[in-house]
Parts: sequence; C-alpha cells; structure tokens
Amino acid sequence: MKKFVKGNEAVMIGALYAGCDAYFGYPITPASEIAHAAADMLPQMGKVFLQAECETGSINMMYGAASAGKRCMSASSGPGMSLMQEGLSYLAGAQLPAVVVDVQRTGPGLGNIGPEQGDYDQAVKAGGHGNYKCIVLAPASVQEMCDLTIRAFELAFKYRNPAIVLADAVLGQMMESLELPEGQLQVPDTKDWCVRGDAETRQNLIASIYLQIDLQEEHNWMLQRKYESMAADTQAQSYLTEDADIIITAYGSCACIALSAVDELRKEGVKAGLFRSITLFPFPKEELAQAAAGKKVLVAELSNGQYRDDVLLHLPCEGRGQVELINRMGGNLIRMEAIKEKAREMMGVKA
Amino acid sequence: MTTSLKELSKIPMKLTPGHRLCAGCAEPIVARQVLMATDKPVVVANATGCFEVSTTIYPYTAWNVPWIHTAFGNAAATCAGVESAYHALRRKGKIDQEMRFVAFGGDGATYDIGFQSLSGAIERGHQFLYVCFNNEAYMNTGIQRSGATAKGASTTTCPAGSCVPGKQQYPKDLTMIIAAHELPYAAQAAPHNWKDLIAKAAKGFEIGGPAFLNTLTPCPRGWRHDSDKTIDMSKLAVETCIWPLYEYENGKFRLTAESARIAEGKMEKKPVSEWINSQGRFKHLTKDRWMDVADAIQEEIDRKWNKLIQLTKL
Repeated sequence: MKKFVKGNEAVMIGALYAGCDAYFGYPITPASEIAHAAADMLPQMGKVFLQAECETGSINMMYGAASAGKRCMSASSGPGMSLMQEGLSYLAGAQLPAVVVDVQRTGPGLGNIGPEQGDYDQAVKAGGHGNYKCIVLAPASVQEMCDLTIRAFELAFKYRNPAIVLADAVLGQMMESLELPEGQLQVPDTKDWCVRGDAETRQNLIASIYLQIDLQEEHNWMLQRKYESMAADTQAQSYLTEDADIIITAYGSCACIALSAVDELRKEGVKAGLFRSITLFPFPKEELAQAAAGKKVLVAELSNGQYRDDVLLHLPCEGRGQVELINRMGGNLIRMEAIKEKAREMMGVKA
Repeated sequence: MTTSLKELSKIPMKLTPGHRLCAGCAEPIVARQVLMATDKPVVVANATGCFEVSTTIYPYTAWNVPWIHTAFGNAAATCAGVESAYHALRRKGKIDQEMRFVAFGGDGATYDIGFQSLSGAIERGHQFLYVCFNNEAYMNTGIQRSGATAKGASTTTCPAGSCVPGKQQYPKDLTMIIAAHELPYAAQAAPHNWKDLIAKAAKGFEIGGPAFLNTLTPCPRGWRHDSDKTIDMSKLAVETCIWPLYEYENGKFRLTAESARIAEGKMEKKPVSEWINSQGRFKHLTKDRWMDVADAIQEEIDRKWNKLIQLTKL
C-alpha cells in the first residue's frame, strides 16, 4: 500500500512498524511533525508519547525506557541535538538501544531552519564526552526516512547502542509516496541485560561507571571491539560507478542532486558515477574504496567539508590526491549545474 | 512614573512597528507597555521564540535599544551576564549612567527549558526584570503543549479526540513558584489593563533586585480566536479568575485592578465556561463527552482563587 506523506511522518510510520513503545519529544523546527505524528498515533495504540521540558529531559527519558528494554525514540534538530549529546554518551556508555532522528537545520548557534549537513561530525564522531560511537544512518528519500528508522531500531538492538537517523530539513519537510513496510520488526530479546523489576532481570545492572580504572579501561576496549564489529553492517549505494572516470559522493538530500548531475553528465558523455553512503557510522569504507579505485572523486555536501574529511580518511592513500569538494551552507542547496560544472572542470571537459 | 495615555504616547518607541508578529499577537503590546515603564537606558535579552524571530529577521530589526539573544533556555543567564558586566564597568567608572535590564521569554522558554536559568539568576540576586509572555504553548514551533498550557486545551502534541480531552494536566503555577524564591518582586499582569501592567513593570525595574512579571499574551493562532479579540481575551481571563492580577512584594501578596474588585465583591466573577466557549482550542470541551472536564476546571480555578485570597490576608 502506498501513502503520500511528509518525510517526518514517514519516520513515525517506520517507528510503528519497528514496534516503537515510546516517543519522548520536545518541539523544534524542522523536526516537530515527527512529535505531532507520535502524539497522534502512539496513545491510540496504547503506547507512550511524552513531551519533555527540554531535550535534556527527552534523552534521559529514553535512558529510563531503554533500560527497561523498551523500544524508544526521539527526534530533534540543531540546538536540540546539542543538548542531547550528554545523554547519547550515557546511552552509549551503558550500552542502551535508542533511536534519535536528527532533521538537520543550519548552524552554528541558532542558525535557521533551512537544510544543512553540519551535524555530520557531531553525529558520526560522537558529540558527547568519552570514547563512544553512535550508529548513523543517512536517508535520501521519504521512503528511506521510514525504512532507515526501522533499520535504526534493528541495529540499535543488535548492538545495544544508540542509533541516529541523520536526515535534513529537505527530507523532513518534502512529500513523496511511501510504500508501507510489511510485517513487524523482530528484535532480540532484552531479558539478558534490561531491568524490568522482575526475578528474571534481577541480576542485570545498567551502568557506565567503573571506579576501578582497569575495569573502566576494559569497558572502553569492549566498546571499541563492538564498534569495529559494526563494519559488518555498512550500507552504500553505488550508481554507474563501475566504468566511471569520476565519482561524485554525497549522502542525504545532497545525494539526490548528485544523482541527477550524474545522469546529466552521462548524457554529455562524461563518465560519472554516484557513491552514496547510507551508513555514515559504520562508514562504508570497502565499498567506497571499490567504487573510487583509480578515479577522481568529487565530494558534494551541505557542510564545511566534514563528510569530505571522512572520505579522505577512509580512501586508500593512493586515491586521496584526487578528491575535491563542492559545498554550500546556511540553508542553500547545491545546484545540479554547479556539481556538473565542477565535475567537468575536474575532468578537463568544456561544456 | 507616567501613566496617562497622553504622556505615554510621547515616550520614544523602543520596539518599532514593522516587526513580523501575527496580527492580533499580544506580545508586542506587552513588550511596549513594559518598555514604557522605565526612562533609563535599557538592555533587552530575549529567549528563542516568536518574539525573538519576528522582531529580528536579518537584515532588519524592530529594536531601538541594545538587544541580545542566545539559546532557547538561557535568557535569564544571558541577562545575568550582561548585568554583571555592567556592574563591573560601573565599578571601574567606565559607565556613568544607571541602566536597566529586562529579559523576555515565552512560556516554553520560562516554565520549561529556561526555568533552571531563571531560578538561578533570581537566587543570585541579579538586578533585572524577567518578563514572561505566557501564550500557553510553544507557538513558534507549531502549537505544542507546554508547562503553561491550560488543562483541556488541544495542541499538536496533546490533540483532543475521543480518548483524550487535550492536555490532561493543569498548568504549573509559575508566578507562585517564583514568589517562593522570596525575591523582591513578582507579579501577574495582562495587556488589556495597561495601567496595571506598566505600574508593575515600573516597580520591577526599580525594586533593586530580581523581579518577575508573568503576562498573559493571547495568541489568535494557537487559541483559535479572531485576531481582533486579543484584548477581550486578556480581559476575560482576569474576569473569570483564570489569570488573577496580583503582586508579591517583599513577602506580601496583594490583588490589583479587576481582581481586587472581584475579591471585594464589587465586580462579577464570570464563569469559566465563558472562557472555554470563547476559544477554538477548547471546542471539544463543550461537547457531552468532555463536559466533566469543564466542570473540573471551574472547581480548580475556584480553589486556586480562594487560596490566593487567603494569601493576600497573611
């Protein structure tokens, strides 16, 4: 069945199919419609919608619900995501599964409510304190706003780790047709770690504090091993990359524009391809190396080179010299023409 | 303090027309009334919200006075910082004139996310006036419930339906909570009674310590009433005792204006049903399904009103 919905509504539809038990929200543009949908849908299904007094409140409500083994989520943007960073660190430290959708707006500071991808480092490198990582998924359509929200729940429970769906204002606000998912998401049983106040979970302890330094170090090593193991779940899209001379790489709404640019360049005889990261952490390192081997790479992003830096970090050494960046900030999108022009320039082709 | 309309009209405007707040918004009315209450140079700190966004859309500004904004929940902290810097500069002799400081925040920025920062600033004793524009929801982000939203009001995050009668909780009594800080001055005001509001703001500016003014700011968009009914709404809130006008000054509570007259039996106390019937956000409460909610609200308003009268007798 198909429905014509806003990206933000698609998130909540996905959350329902993922079996979300509780939503803890706080208003912020351009993410508020996710809370509106949650407030509308969840109580009717006997589930929980709560509005906190601030984002610090909502992320810590998630800590409480996740500790009980429940599937919980929140959504925010800009300053709200900044306020959630401490809580994300606690969730990661205590190995609790939770999903946060970041409908990125512009920054820094108040910024405005237009689209930007400036929260890349905050999400992917973990903006809170300590040696932790969040799983980060980057949708590029209304369909993926739904599907990757489900996937975020799946991975969050698989790894007992917070997962961020890194969207942006374009994806949150635009409408497209959505193919409704089939079936309910099954997640692993939580009784081995959650605390439900019953005999079965009496032994379990949820904590991120180890006052003995060796134990705290071991806890950190264990977390790092877990993050490394997440490489098994990388996801990326390679489009016309095999015979390409130049690869345009992007994620999120920016990748939609890059995709159009690739098609247009092909029509002009420039062998371009698109590499789109779907998981940003774990980063699709192997997939990128394969798609970009021996090719020029143009990174398109709505931020100050944050994604480009990761592309450089993950590309094999020999590929790094051929990477260039095209970017916009402040709520501006990159025009497809500008991507084409930059690609032609890199290929030494005249329009 | 000047309180004749003729005199007030001569005061230079600190917040100019041409801002982009909605037709019928009470916020600029209250802001102008507050700013008329001092003839000293004034610095404005503003929390995130309709008022901040709509008066400062770059490259324009509606402000004729120094104005500062940081985050959503930090207006009181920012104001405390500016006030501290002012005192330091005064001590060094770098500023020779007396100045006043005022922070404006909506109910979300005051009752909810900014409560910690406001409480801290009051406890530390900064000399500033904090004015809350209480329109009883997060209007800037699309009418979500707040700690100030009335019981029974329908918002986007507590939509009324067959299961739920809109917001299920009563609002926080923030003025009383602030009064419990035992600060020099706290008051409730509403824009229809400009004389009362300006007098309270003037006291707040001159009290010599932290002062708090909670103002009711009807919002046609969120409350679902016609935009020419803003002042009527303000008046009705006081007449139904939904929003009593009172002040707390150096440990004493005192009713003012219409509220004092209602308490003295010189004015009719209108039923809450008039309030509920006047706004679309309460529309569902007039149906059989939620009739009992309207009754419960009347009971609670009566209880709080009687309690307030008792407090004024202490």
